[in-house]
Amino acid sequence: MKRNQGCHSLDHQIARRQFLAGAAGGAVCLGLSDLSAHAATVKSQHKRILQVYLQGGVSQLESWDPKPGTEFGGPFRAIPTSVPGMHISELLPHTAQRMHLLSIVRSINIKTNDHSQGRLFMEKGRRAGEYPYIGSIASKYLAPANSELPGYIHISTRGLNDATAAFLGAQHAQLKFEGVKPPQNLGLPKNLNATANTRRLQLRQQFNHQFRQGRRKAQTETFDASFQQASKLMARKSFFEKTPDAKDLERYGKHDFGRNCLLARKLLENNATCVKVTHHGYDSHAENFNFHLEQLGEFDKTFSMLLDDLHERGMLESTLVMVYSEFGRTPKINVRYGRDHWGTAWSIALGGCGVQPGAIIGKTNEKGTAVADREVDAGHLFHTYLQALGIDSTRDHEIGGRSIPIGDPTTQPIKELLA
Amino acid sequence: MLVLSGITSTVTAQTSLHQQIDQLIAEGKPQFEQQAAPLADDATFLRRVTLDLTGTIPTADEVRTFVADSSPDKRSQRIDLLLASPEHARRLQYLFDTMLMERRPGKYVKTAEWEEYLRQSFLENRPWDELVHEILTVDGTDKTTRPAARFLLDRELKSEVVTRDLGRIFLGRDLQCAQCHDHPNVNDYLQRHYHGLDAFLSRSYLFKDPKTKQASIGEKAEGQVSFTSVFTKEEGMTAPRVLDLPEIPDPADTKKAYKVKPAKNVRSVPVYSRRLQLADALTSQNNEAFQKNIVNRLWAMMMGQGLVEPLDMWHSDNPPTHPKIVSLLSEELASHEFNLRYVIRELAQTQTYQRSSHVSAETEIPERSAYQMGLLKPLTPEQLAWSMMQATGVTSATLERLQTKQRKVDEKQKTKKAEDPLWQEEALHDALKGNVAAFVRTFGIVGAQTTRFDASADQALFLLNGNTIQAWLAPSGNQLTARLKKLDQPTAIAEELYLSVFSRFPTETELKQVALFLEGGPKPTEQDLQQLIWAALSSDEFRFNH
Repeated sequence: MKRNQGCHSLDHQIARRQFLAGAAGGAVCLGLSDLSAHAATVKSQHKRILQVYLQGGVSQLESWDPKPGTEFGGPFRAIPTSVPGMHISELLPHTAQRMHLLSIVRSINIKTNDHSQGRLFMEKGRRAGEYPYIGSIASKYLAPANSELPGYIHISTRGLNDATAAFLGAQHAQLKFEGVKPPQNLGLPKNLNATANTRRLQLRQQFNHQFRQGRRKAQTETFDASFQQASKLMARKSFFEKTPDAKDLERYGKHDFGRNCLLARKLLENNATCVKVTHHGYDSHAENFNFHLEQLGEFDKTFSMLLDDLHERGMLESTLVMVYSEFGRTPKINVRYGRDHWGTAWSIALGGCGVQPGAIIGKTNEKGTAVADREVDAGHLFHTYLQALGIDSTRDHEIGGRSIPIGDPTTQPIKELLA
Repeated sequence: MLVLSGITSTVTAQTSLHQQIDQLIAEGKPQFEQQAAPLADDATFLRRVTLDLTGTIPTADEVRTFVADSSPDKRSQRIDLLLASPEHARRLQYLFDTMLMERRPGKYVKTAEWEEYLRQSFLENRPWDELVHEILTVDGTDKTTRPAARFLLDRELKSEVVTRDLGRIFLGRDLQCAQCHDHPNVNDYLQRHYHGLDAFLSRSYLFKDPKTKQASIGEKAEGQVSFTSVFTKEEGMTAPRVLDLPEIPDPADTKKAYKVKPAKNVRSVPVYSRRLQLADALTSQNNEAFQKNIVNRLWAMMMGQGLVEPLDMWHSDNPPTHPKIVSLLSEELASHEFNLRYVIRELAQTQTYQRSSHVSAETEIPERSAYQMGLLKPLTPEQLAWSMMQATGVTSATLERLQTKQRKVDEKQKTKKAEDPLWQEEALHDALKGNVAAFVRTFGIVGAQTTRFDASADQALFLLNGNTIQAWLAPSGNQLTARLKKLDQPTAIAEELYLSVFSRFPTETELKQVALFLEGGPKPTEQDLQQLIWAALSSDEFRFNH
């Protein structure tokens, strides 16, 4: 089942935005000062990623693949979406109205029920081994050379530390934001003002200038790049600290996830390349239904607002949107009304940038216990994401004399999804 | 040429190992000397060798003394002195911990116990084959050798982790891709290599004692390793084997399979252990890969890159840049009972090691693998931490404080601990290890099998604005800022700064530069001095061993 909603042309997007801005008396907060600058940004074809990670494993039955009235279907209904014939859980009413922007993959089997293995597989497209996360790959291949933000930013309120860049190097590792809190050490030390800071940096350069005469440059340039990136972040300290617009907060929700998604929007608007927002707390071994009611309630509205904003700003064409977990949840409902870990047959949603919208890929059997058609795993998804972004995932990373296949050579992208 | 007297008596050849290395580096290049950088000056040599052998920069006084020393063999003497120091064992502890455990958190074996085990091993200069043998054979049940079991225990005996790491860390071959099929890019890495290694450990498992909750290694008496290629669907079967060395078949006699039979909550122990064959097979004289891997790693530690680079990618399409040196070093290592210190010492004595990392403006910069000039080596997180503490005077201030305290105890107990270098090293380490940990958190790379250099924004922010370094810049006691504050003349300030931070005397231009920077008022402000030190600490010259 595939529906081609067609790509919205740039001109159309701009016209629509102008219209909206005009209608609202110019008061619509768009985060960018003028339209021509914005158009230029969009035109530059800088492709980006928004990752929304539902950590713990969202239940496919309570989200993208509802099975109402079946043995394991649970208490929630399926509702129609903006794509004729496509139904999703009634826990996602706002998202349902925007499904023409997204697609669903319902036939994922990653053959693991382990949080960490599932997460790594979904991020690296490999079951094992030190490979870079999608975000690090985006940082390496998509971030503009003069980017004012690090290429891969992760907004999360809990710690999960991982070598995300693997062999791509520290400059492509995720820069972690603890919620909307800026990175550590962004502020100058006490007793040091901007002038003094400039002075000490100049002196540092003076020392470096002398040292670099007659020496190889590659390593010292890498070292310098880290200082430049740090300076960019420091220069944007207030950007990170600014309280969000009240209207935006109202729309997105005043909870952490709402604030985090607002920050994500701001980062993407300001040309960040990959922004990952983690929504924690889907590991519902008990009280699965109450938990999903609450969690998805928060997710649904906030995510829909973010999706609208990206769409209205004309950014969706160049932004890959991924809504994913490390696995799904067991069809079988346990004695505590919970669902356990289930990597065998579950779903994700994705859209934007080069992804055919309104599609449903694969299906599960009637009870939702197994994949019935078009089985894929995280390796296929990985190729799909990258190819949607215009990265040839069948090629190799060329790193320090080593060629490493970008995607797992034994799997392929989901071609039907690539417009 | 005469062999220098300090060298171990077994070197009887006319040409010492370090001279042979230098000859092989220059071999086939008639223009070598003309193109090569000269030997580094004494101050640079001292900084380099102190960092490489003991993990920190020298003190300002050490630089002064060394530069002033006129004895012709002072470099060799210094190498010996450093190799004999307790700091050398600590440096190797850090290096081998990173190499063997790749900054994994301690799970079943306490990190501190493992580190202590490594350090003691290097204090005693235990042979590499013996050390590896122990690490791979202990089962974690004997309290005295339990720390050595960390390599296997903290990998939870997980086959895909252990097998891959055996290949990378001990054989220099990353066989990961050969788990499911012959390696797609590397013709030499076959699926049977992976599974041959796997077969040594496939019967072993992590056993958790239900009473003590302690983890140890159990092993079953049966289980074969078979594999199917995901590409070709070809099937294979293998007994344990190291790469292309012969298979090690199980003994035919299987009347009694177990010393301790498998049962619920029981750690089974077979009569014939495949796991115990691993260490023998790996460290066997026939296994050249084991010898070549470690000499390549020692070379990389000293010279800044491996003769094979990346360190774990030995294969025919990625041959050593200097195959004769690899062979020479691995033969020498084997004939010297796997004495790592012997190899390190010879490497430190080469001209290759001692060359300047700098060429004159007119000279073209030679290829990295030509070793015609010294390579920049980024400081490890541990080296960076200790060097910053040394430079800012935190180390000496801490040592003084610890010694004062200890001298009182010594007086009572009639001991002389406060003057004992080993006690000093341990006391300093214990007092300052929190700082080292902060640097490891910020600058440490997980899973590092590389000599590549990386730098992230987080790291720069830590240097720019972090509390740790700011605190070291405060003018307390006799620390560097306080010492500079007492000096009146910019020249004197520059000299003390350069000796303390850069481990060398400043040039005329640099003297002027410092004077210019301080020209804010009649007397430099405390903040000026702090910035001066900060800029030096954050510079390229400090960040790299050069």
